[in-house]
Amino acid sequence: MSNLIFIALSFLAIMGGIMMLVYKNPMYSALGLLVSILAVAGLFALLNATFLFMVQIIVYAGAIMTLILFLLMFLNIKEENLPKEPKKYFLIGIGALVMIPFNVVILKAVSNLPNADMNIKEGDFGDIKPIGLQLYNDWILSFELVSILLLVALVGSIVLAKRKKTNKENS
Amino acid sequence: MISLTSYAFVSMILFSIGVIGVIARRNIFVIYMSIELMLNGVNLFLVTFARYHFNMDPQIITIMVISIAAAEAAIFLSVIILLYRSKKSLDTDIFTSLSQGEKA
Repeated sequence: MSNLIFIALSFLAIMGGIMMLVYKNPMYSALGLLVSILAVAGLFALLNATFLFMVQIIVYAGAIMTLILFLLMFLNIKEENLPKEPKKYFLIGIGALVMIPFNVVILKAVSNLPNADMNIKEGDFGDIKPIGLQLYNDWILSFELVSILLLVALVGSIVLAKRKKTNKENS
Repeated sequence: MISLTSYAFVSMILFSIGVIGVIARRNIFVIYMSIELMLNGVNLFLVTFARYHFNMDPQIITIMVISIAAAEAAIFLSVIILLYRSKKSLDTDIFTSLSQGEKA
């Protein structure tokens, strides 16, 4: 049963990525990326990471993808604003050729590891409570640094978006 | 039983699609989304190894990666708004200057 779920989810993830890669209109690309992200969230759930499953859906599919789609609608992109890409499929082929040896090396290294049971286990591994305990006991410094980074990003995006108006007032 | 290698295969494919998108496409939105896809592939690899070793530290690194991606999204998208307003195009080849007044 979980084999079938794994195959379906990985197919959706890869198909969403390929949709994102080949469509010319960025709106369709964003929808492909959304499919891929939701499938990756399902794979997280198959790997016992229930908290990350929720975080992936809320933060990626809820917040970041909404921001991208809202921005695509806000910018009112027309056909003539899109860049012309005459050599797209040629460059995709070259990129695939470049990535093949890298993939082969990593997969060979991983397949030599001893095999383990990767099915869903009972217990509280990956639940909210043990993750929170570990986050606030062992990773408190990186947690605080990430909060500072989010504050910097907030202030920075406001400054960037307001910049045009202040330039006019100064000059 | 699903093996470790099949999860590694899926995450490597996702990462490779991201790299190919950065190489092949010229639309700046698609390049940004390819970077997000690369982050997703690496996250899947980290969570796979968390499950493999039954250790929760990689999942916490994944939470850090997701929050850094959120911060990156805010900055990147406001920069895209500025560039699109000054150049009226999404082509990466003409984005050679970050200055607003200068005409390329």
